[in-house]
Amino acid sequence: MKKRRSRYLGLGLLLAGYTFALFWVFTRSTPVISSRPVTIRIAHWQIEKGPPDGVDAIIKRYEELNPRVKVEQVLVPGRVYNQWMRTNLVGATGADLIEYGVWLDGLTDIPARYFEPITDEMMRPNPYNKGTALEHVPWVQTFTDGLMNQRVNAPDPGQFYAVTLTEVSERLFCNQELLRTITGTDQMPATFADLRVVFERIRAYAARTGRPIYAMAGARDNASWLMQYLLQGAMLQRSQRNDRQGNLAVYPWEELGQYLEGRWNYRTPEAQAGLALMREVSLNMKPGFVQSLRDAATQEFLRGDAVFIFAGTWDGTSLRRLATFPIAVYRFPQPTREDPVMGPYFYGAFADGGGGTAMEFYLNKSSAHPKEAIDFMHFMTSVEGNQLFTDHSGWLPSIREVKVPSDIMAYRTPLDCYSFGAEYMTGMGSTVAAAVMRNLYLLTETHGSVDQFVNAMEAAMPEAVRTDLRKEISNRAIIVRPQDVTIMANAALGWRSGPEGSPLLARERLESSQTQSEGLMLLMGRQLEVAGPGK
Amino acid sequence: MYPPRSILPLLLIGPLLAAGAVAPAGLDRAWSALADSRPQDVLRQLRRDADSRADRLVWAAARIGAQPATDANMREAEVVLAELETGPDEIAAEAAYLRARIYQLHLNEPDFAQAAQLYAELARRQPESHWAQLGLVKLGLLKLYLLPDLADPGADRLAAAEALLPRIHEPLLRRDLELQIGQAGIVLHQPQARFLPHLIAAAQAGGITGTAREDLIVQIGVLSERAGDWARAREYFERYLADYPTNVRAFTIRQKLGKVTRQLAQEGGA
Repeated sequence: MKKRRSRYLGLGLLLAGYTFALFWVFTRSTPVISSRPVTIRIAHWQIEKGPPDGVDAIIKRYEELNPRVKVEQVLVPGRVYNQWMRTNLVGATGADLIEYGVWLDGLTDIPARYFEPITDEMMRPNPYNKGTALEHVPWVQTFTDGLMNQRVNAPDPGQFYAVTLTEVSERLFCNQELLRTITGTDQMPATFADLRVVFERIRAYAARTGRPIYAMAGARDNASWLMQYLLQGAMLQRSQRNDRQGNLAVYPWEELGQYLEGRWNYRTPEAQAGLALMREVSLNMKPGFVQSLRDAATQEFLRGDAVFIFAGTWDGTSLRRLATFPIAVYRFPQPTREDPVMGPYFYGAFADGGGGTAMEFYLNKSSAHPKEAIDFMHFMTSVEGNQLFTDHSGWLPSIREVKVPSDIMAYRTPLDCYSFGAEYMTGMGSTVAAAVMRNLYLLTETHGSVDQFVNAMEAAMPEAVRTDLRKEISNRAIIVRPQDVTIMANAALGWRSGPEGSPLLARERLESSQTQSEGLMLLMGRQLEVAGPGK
Repeated sequence: MYPPRSILPLLLIGPLLAAGAVAPAGLDRAWSALADSRPQDVLRQLRRDADSRADRLVWAAARIGAQPATDANMREAEVVLAELETGPDEIAAEAAYLRARIYQLHLNEPDFAQAAQLYAELARRQPESHWAQLGLVKLGLLKLYLLPDLADPGADRLAAAEALLPRIHEPLLRRDLELQIGQAGIVLHQPQARFLPHLIAAAQAGGITGTAREDLIVQIGVLSERAGDWARAREYFERYLADYPTNVRAFTIRQKLGKVTRQLAQEGGA
């Protein structure tokens, strides 16, 4: 009897196990062979809190709409991103869509070599905007900035290469409780002069209490962003004077060329004023901060060891999700006409973001599924896709008609300030950037000075500028040379497909942008020739 | 007993392959491969000494586009192109254009004077060919920045390029050279009256894409303002704000628009 009962129990258990296994296989497990024949990968370094969630939300919805396609998000830490990108692109194993930024050290040739332009697609409406106010709007014009930054950085002036996911700006994030504890008020300084007073009170508080509190959280990244911001503001008058072209913008190659023509350098009074402001602020950061990266500044701020952190809005979600205290977001208080340092060179309020969009994704030339990759680009920058990104990441949208949540409204920069684009620092080229970062400690450390930094930079600049200008020319040559064959091929195909055929339009556009690029190459070459070899 | 018509094309493949020629559909595939940056596919498919001139042109184009882009490969392509350019047809024009491009852009040590000479000869032989017209634009660029001699301060570089304009009949190509003359005029420190008309002509022709269009509109507005041409400045500032309202330059342009509007009001021109 007992034996029979245990046999039934065994069979029962077996049956239950089998039923559970069936349930699991049919409802929970992943099929051995994917039901989605196409897999595309999207890679980026935005591993802060927020963006991965935003991209996941886009992917989830996209896969619902496109059962054939599986999208994988590849998160690559910033520390290894450059090496990862270079090796994968060289080996033709890179993701289909890749984030890239023109400032990435030593990678200026990448777009020309490995990315495919998407100009034709940009001229047509985004199909995923059907039923929205942007239904008939060309894709490029659906971006809040018309892809301004991307166009400025494009290796070919007539071509579009990337889409962006978010608008960025730089803000002063404040530990409100700490500010109140130290100053007795929530009142934020309105001008740079007011900020000096707050700095003084924080220093006095730290000395009085013995607490190691600094006004600003410090790291080389944050210092570099702050210095770009202050220098471009201090140099506005100079930029305006140097704008012989009348573009109201100074491109990186122009900054380099103007340096060779002697139209600016770090000894000019405006530059020295900007550097002096930077030194003032950096003396309110923890000594030795130039050895640390942005994570260290974030941790310093989150520990309550600094009242403010100057950071991009890209750090906003991390700061807000990780902080145990309320964080307020402000625009950095700017010097006025009365400022003793920058007043004589005051031009007006300067941009702390300027509405430009970023997190640029490029199409890999080696993509096995370019059609699907472009389709995914369309979705992630549609009203629906970008709204999902914004809602789940806490980052600003890059697309018009997307609703901005009230808690990040402060990240938006209204069009109320001047910008000529030029920041006279790391954006000019990788060689100049390396020199700036190598010498930054001379400006920011206690025993440093503006003079020490200027002397070191002026020793390095003549050769660094020439090197970067030569790189600008050779990068453009990488793009321009293969275009001869493409133009001829499009002509042959276009004449067969008739005057309205897309190869013919592609040929016309390519001819025009190639001529523009060649003009720029010759112009830069002339600047180098006229300047002669560096001493 | 004739073979069915449907198999005739199949029967032709053998002789065509034997002759090293590619049927028109095959030629399209070859050009498509080049348009997709796959020159190696073409080089595998075609022979340098193919009977058909069209095939030899595609082969030379593929040789130029293939990696590694060595001078030896360029010289090899040039031999074929030099032979093709002696013909009377469009292929001759394409070959001559590509040959000039080799000297201007593809050799490790460019020979700009030789490129300029080849562009000029092409324009003399086949002036209405698209490739001759495009070659004149490239010749204009060389004259603006490099030829005859960079060290010659007295050379009127704009005039040399301007002289080419009447010979360019394709509106888009003429526009491109107008734009380049305008931009060079600024860089070469020419008086504004000399180069601004070229920028305006380029803008009026339309169709410029990317940053170049946006810059051009701003440029004409700002340069007109500097010259005291308030009406034109206002026209271009208004156009910019209509087309690029959210660009970071819009703030500065609004200030400038306010200023020129006040000037016009003062002078009774509003």
